[in-house]
Amino acid sequence: MSETQNLTLVQAVRDGLYTEMREDDDVLVLGQDVGKNGGVFRATEGLFDEFGGDRVVDTPLAESGIVGAAVGMAAMGLKPVPEIQFSGFMYPGFDQIVSHMARFRARSRGRYTLPMTLRAPYGGGIRAPEHHSESKEAFYAHEAGLKVVIPSTPSDAKGLLAASIRDPDPVIFLEPKLIYRAFREAVPEGPHTVPIGEAATRREGEDVAVFTYGAMTRPTLEAAENLAEEGIECEVVDLRTISPLDREAIVEAFEATGRAVVVHEAPKTGGLAAEITAIIQEEALLYQEAPVTRVTGFDVPYPLYALEDYYLPTAARIEEGITEAVEF
Amino acid sequence: MVVGDIATGTEVLVIGAGPGGYVAAIRAAQKGLDTTLVEKDAYGGACLNRGCIPSKALITGSGLAHEAGNAEFMGVHADPAVDMGQMIEWKDGVVDQLTGGVEKLCKANGVNLVEGTASFVDDRTVRVAHGGAGQGSESIEFEHAIVSTGSQPIQIPGFEFAADHIWSSADALDAETVPDRLGIVGGGYIGMELATTYAKLGAEVTVVEMLDDILDPYEDDVKRIVRKRAEELGVEFHFGEGASGWSEGADGGYLLQTETEEGEESTYGVDKILVAVGRQPVTDGLDVENAGIETDDRGFIETDDRTRTAVEHIHAVGDVAGDPMLAHAASKEGIVAAEVIAGEPAALDQQAIPAAVFTDPEIGTVGMTESEADDAGFDPVVGQMPFNASGRAMTTGHTDGFVRLVADEETGFVLGGQIVGPEASELIAEVTLAIEMGATIEDVAATVHTHPTLAEAVMEAAENAQGQAIHTLNR
Amino acid sequence: MPVKEFTLPDVGEGVAEGELVTWLVAPGDRVEEDQPVAEVETDKALVEVPSRYDGVVEELFAEEGEIVPVGDVIISFRVDEDGEDADSGTSEEPAESGESGEADADSDGDTAAEPDGEPADEPDGDVPSGRTFAPPSVRRLARELGIDIAALDGSGPGGRISEADVRAHAEDDASEPRPAPADIGSGDRKSAVSKRDASGDDADSSAAATMPDAAEPAAAVEPAGRETTLATPATRKLARDLNVDIDDVPTDETRDGEAFVADEAVQAYADALEGSVDAESAPADTVAVSDSGASESVDETVPYRGVRRTIGKQMERSKYTAPHVSHHDTAEVDALVEARERLKPKAEAAGVKLTYMPFVMKAIVAGLKEYPYLNSELREDEEEIVLKGEYNLGIAVATDAGLLVPVVENVDEKGLFELAAEVRDLASRARDRKLKPAEMKGSTFSITNFGAIGGEYATPIINYPETAILGLGAIEERPVVRDGEVVAAPTLPLSLSIDHRVIDGAVAAEFANTVMEHLEHPLLLLTQ
Repeated sequence: MSETQNLTLVQAVRDGLYTEMREDDDVLVLGQDVGKNGGVFRATEGLFDEFGGDRVVDTPLAESGIVGAAVGMAAMGLKPVPEIQFSGFMYPGFDQIVSHMARFRARSRGRYTLPMTLRAPYGGGIRAPEHHSESKEAFYAHEAGLKVVIPSTPSDAKGLLAASIRDPDPVIFLEPKLIYRAFREAVPEGPHTVPIGEAATRREGEDVAVFTYGAMTRPTLEAAENLAEEGIECEVVDLRTISPLDREAIVEAFEATGRAVVVHEAPKTGGLAAEITAIIQEEALLYQEAPVTRVTGFDVPYPLYALEDYYLPTAARIEEGITEAVEF
Repeated sequence: MVVGDIATGTEVLVIGAGPGGYVAAIRAAQKGLDTTLVEKDAYGGACLNRGCIPSKALITGSGLAHEAGNAEFMGVHADPAVDMGQMIEWKDGVVDQLTGGVEKLCKANGVNLVEGTASFVDDRTVRVAHGGAGQGSESIEFEHAIVSTGSQPIQIPGFEFAADHIWSSADALDAETVPDRLGIVGGGYIGMELATTYAKLGAEVTVVEMLDDILDPYEDDVKRIVRKRAEELGVEFHFGEGASGWSEGADGGYLLQTETEEGEESTYGVDKILVAVGRQPVTDGLDVENAGIETDDRGFIETDDRTRTAVEHIHAVGDVAGDPMLAHAASKEGIVAAEVIAGEPAALDQQAIPAAVFTDPEIGTVGMTESEADDAGFDPVVGQMPFNASGRAMTTGHTDGFVRLVADEETGFVLGGQIVGPEASELIAEVTLAIEMGATIEDVAATVHTHPTLAEAVMEAAENAQGQAIHTLNR
Repeated sequence: MPVKEFTLPDVGEGVAEGELVTWLVAPGDRVEEDQPVAEVETDKALVEVPSRYDGVVEELFAEEGEIVPVGDVIISFRVDEDGEDADSGTSEEPAESGESGEADADSDGDTAAEPDGEPADEPDGDVPSGRTFAPPSVRRLARELGIDIAALDGSGPGGRISEADVRAHAEDDASEPRPAPADIGSGDRKSAVSKRDASGDDADSSAAATMPDAAEPAAAVEPAGRETTLATPATRKLARDLNVDIDDVPTDETRDGEAFVADEAVQAYADALEGSVDAESAPADTVAVSDSGASESVDETVPYRGVRRTIGKQMERSKYTAPHVSHHDTAEVDALVEARERLKPKAEAAGVKLTYMPFVMKAIVAGLKEYPYLNSELREDEEEIVLKGEYNLGIAVATDAGLLVPVVENVDEKGLFELAAEVRDLASRARDRKLKPAEMKGSTFSITNFGAIGGEYATPIINYPETAILGLGAIEERPVVRDGEVVAAPTLPLSLSIDHRVIDGAVAAEFANTVMEHLEHPLLLLTQ
């Protein structure tokens, strides 16, 4: 099928849900406001009318209940796609996530797996009050048994979501809401998947490898374009899957350049940049010409919107980080 | 939107869906650009909803009624009754069809439509307020923008449109009953078109104009014909007078007060007062300063020949960008803006923009008049054909007026045309094409025109310019 | 909008030509009246040429570095309609294409995009809003091909322009590089001058100081010149500390299929390099000229233009016109030294740095008053010698661009401190290239103080069209004979060159004597 439509990221998510629900009757959606309201970000718009209340379920405001119910459904053969309205509200369901969602396969020695995909809009930059701008993918990356996927483009959003839904194991699918509507892209119509665990090279360059994901991909590319004018060519790698990381892509990109920068909006300490730095140390020390630079959020609770612009990495801050790595 | 502010990104943001905006949006989408069109009121803008289209509908309706009622000389005896309410309903139907059509065309071309009122936050962001309670607002971040917010009638202090008896042109085009006496302040093209319309609908029309003649930018011989015909229709003209105020009349109507420059006062008894003294750009609430856009001292946005404002990635088209304040100029500008944004070498390089006045008789002009050609350094040669020498004109019963062509003596290039008479608004198109193509007067004269048509007069005028007209005496 | 041509204006008295040093605008740029469009060098002044119009730059008619006669067209503009010109003309003045000469070709590989299809976003073919007799499709084609349609003559009746006309014109242009509206600045014109010897600027036209040879003897160790080298971070640090490029360290070890370098290899390489004659090791991040490390001396080429060339021409003219004779003598300046010492505190209090120059200037004026033939000009064609009524002394100043001679006017009317301040000001502005052309004209006699740098005697070249010049050596203690004894005394060597067509040796000697007298007895300066 070579037909495409121009969709925003959230429209692509919706299209992904719709397509998978049509392909497989076991797929269902549950969460707050997903049914009759069509989702507060319109991610489930029209699904209720199309598939009915049995497959598009409006739940009470109870995250542990949403996750727990989904765990049960998945254990018994359904393919639930629970939505938590903001990733900052996953915490009330954290116990269900780590104690059960992550452990079913191990607990049952493979007898049961949980083909569930927990979707949540995540990340900041939208002028929201407390709890609505979290970027704590590191919590889930640290839990074996969970996959963590973060798309940065509409086409990847649809494809990775479809792949997550089809995956027999649980996936945490975080959607960067800052760029939900920031741009449109041609998205293939009909069933479309993108492999989990594979990074994508967004830009080629030989001077430094810059690793990033989610909403930070755009300012990183902007920084790379600006630096190209000064003769610094960046290889920009969009990780797309945070857990498991595409170690091969990371090492390959690093070996080709000898320098690396990692950009994420999540706080610095214990963030994915630390993990990537460790991988580089283990696998490619001899290629290293400079310390890995981390351009990240700060080790503070996510600020309210008057300070939001200082917290998030901007193209300028990313450029500084890259320049640091290149000039070492 | 529950919490937070997620901006929508777009490549081209068009503000205003009038003939400038919707055309620009469609062309931009055709060029493959992600385009968003914001409109706060109705698609098609003033042109479709309160201007060009409604006025032509009423002009046709009133014209038809008048025509039929005055055709005894042809052997047609009739005394038509006009149901104004029904005419307005029909007019509304036409308007709805057209605005619906604009919406469909936009969607079919992939333009994203947003309803609301836009205002600039900075030179890359716009806030759109959705009308109505609880509807909130959204942010749109754009790479390029086209401002096409149009114009609105100028309101004279003391003559606020909010009053029932003070009409703007929009009110005049929505009136369900014909007033007995209509006072019109302003003898420009809007005032004159409506004067003719209402005179034909049976109103007693009085036109008050500050200058000493109607239709200021046109040549004397053109104005004279239109004025005389209006007087024949019963329109009363008072020149050199400016509206100074109004008061309630003893008879339930109103008294329109005027004053000359010397201070002489006059009063006219009217039932409605139509104020048609010009149009001003619509920019309030748009906050153009936030984007760094510059306007001139009358509020028009300044643009260059590629429709760019002081901010390179923001364009302005149509009435908001100033003269010529014509719908077709807006559309042309809209197309140029979209193509410039798409990286094409487009520019406003048209040699002339035609204009039409739908009075009785109609006026259609394009390019230079004889004296303009002279001032520009050409050596003009002029050819003319009066409609009273046109066979076709005679068979319509309308023989007032003429076709005049102006050309350069040395090269023969057609420089301009002025047509007064039946279908002048249509006939002028040929002259416009001649100018754009760089046709010579010989080319026009040598082109065979169908007989019997009014268009033949254009050919004859060309022949006349060459001193070899068949059907008129050569100058 | 009509096209207006602009000729090089007369920028200084009698200047017949100028060198167009830099264009400050490019075709397609919008300019305002009075906005500088070019820098032109005439004699020794760098002058900005302002636009006379509001409009858009149409075409440039001179290349940077070209000498343009005054009155020649250098640039044309497409002028705004409501600007200077009332008659929005017809295409009566399309740029006389004959005169257009070479378009300003910027031969940078990256900016001059191939002229096929759409140029990116630069407004190349500017939009005419005057009459253009061409159909809309043809106008658009012209814009696409980057052709100015107003400059075309159409082949149709009345000059109407057709598609064929436009295409034919495009093909003609194809051979010449299209003026890229991109930066017409220095592009990648290499400044071949690496170092200018600031010291060598005598009044004498000396050749430029010798350039150091980029000589590198053959290195004993061949650098490896790799692209990728594996090494631990510690080894890399060692390489950096030893100022060695790790990619150059020879090694036999490999890991992972790539060359691997350990500390020992780095150290060994660094030692080997030091052992060979000190070559300038290129810092790690500059592009190495060649991997093998140049082992031959390479000539360096310096452009001969601008002020240097102007000086050259002046010197040539002076020396080859006037028969120069030099007269040397030495003044014993004990009293002068003391006088200056005495006056120094007063000068400082007045905010003035008092050198010997003002004293010398006054002494010279004294001499010139007695011997006016040294303050003169020979006009051979008129067959007359003009004895000048003013005493305007040119003071030679060495600057980065070469020798400049600002003029102190009416030295006879100014006091010592005033002269000191003025000389200081002129010298500093000369070094900053901020002198106005007028300040370098009108001298009647010149002084060159090479002694400030060092030296005793020289043979200065007269500053045309003057007839004499005085060179000052360094004031130093030298042996003199007094009362039959050799003693050390401060002396000031003088080198006077004269034009023998006007002045005879005897007069020169007498002039010199007078000057020395006033230097040796500073009180005499009071009688001036």
